Amino acid sequence: MSSPQLSNYLVSNRKRLALSQKEVAFLLGNKGGAKVSRYERFDREPSLETALALEVIFQRSPSELFSGLYQKVEQEVIERAKTLASRTGQGNPKRQIFTNIANRSLN
Amino acid sequence: MNTIDSKQFRVLAIAPVTRGFGFAVLEGQDTLVNWGVKVVSGKGNKNAKLLPKVEELIAHYQPDVLVMEDASAKGSLRRSRIQRLVPQIIKVAKASKANVKLFSREQVMKLLVPDGQGTKHDLAEIVAGEFPEQLGSKLPPKRTAAMRENYQMGIFDAVGLVMVVRLKQAMLYLPSTNPPATSSIFQ
Repeated sequence: MSSPQLSNYLVSNRKRLALSQKEVAFLLGNKGGAKVSRYERFDREPSLETALALEVIFQRSPSELFSGLYQKVEQEVIERAKTLASRTGQGNPKRQIFTNIANRSLN
Repeated sequence: MNTIDSKQFRVLAIAPVTRGFGFAVLEGQDTLVNWGVKVVSGKGNKNAKLLPKVEELIAHYQPDVLVMEDASAKGSLRRSRIQRLVPQIIKVAKASKANVKLFSREQVMKLLVPDGQGTKHDLAEIVAGEFPEQLGSKLPPKRTAAMRENYQMGIFDAVGLVMVVRLKQAMLYLPSTNPPATSSIFQ
């Protein structure tokens, strides 16, 4: 019995540092805490720049902070890699690269 | 290499207090995902105002288990409003297919406090000791008879409940029937 990972873990990281949404918003260069609230409620996904700023603030990699989203993206990439591997001929060295990506979830 | 587990066991604890309820979400063995107090104000049916907030938490976190104090247990000092609220929350949780676990205050104390005896503050100290980074700064000072209970105590009650669920789970995998020391389970 278990549940899929949450889309992100921003709340726990923010509360761990005892920061308010407003303070995180300021560090991100936003005016109010509304955007941060939306990120925390999974209503909105941040830009790459914001994700990197969150890494700076919380000292956690984006794949940790957004582990649910990371898994979703990882699964999609794996599926595409499988497709490309199946389309690539046996002798083509790229086939191994696609196969390695497709087997990533097993690592 | 990415080492993120794809699935996690998630527990949500709800601890009703006078102004609302404390809550805590524990994921896996030791990840405290969220914690806090939800309060309601104004006149009217307090329970009716609290239930949507519980529903919101359940919908957001989709817990495998929802845990609460058994307000109808023998010796429980919970007020009738809270005794009415607990079954209402159970109904909401079951509609969301979450398992519900109830533990009496006595069970919580027996499992978490040495000798099974102590005050609410003793329990809060143990809880804060398990999650010092997250809760250490929130531990209210020990109250005197003249002081009201700090509303944040609901957080410690809720985290205590999630700790009980984890402890019970850990005990399932231990050969001994004696409850292990709390700290050894959560380290």
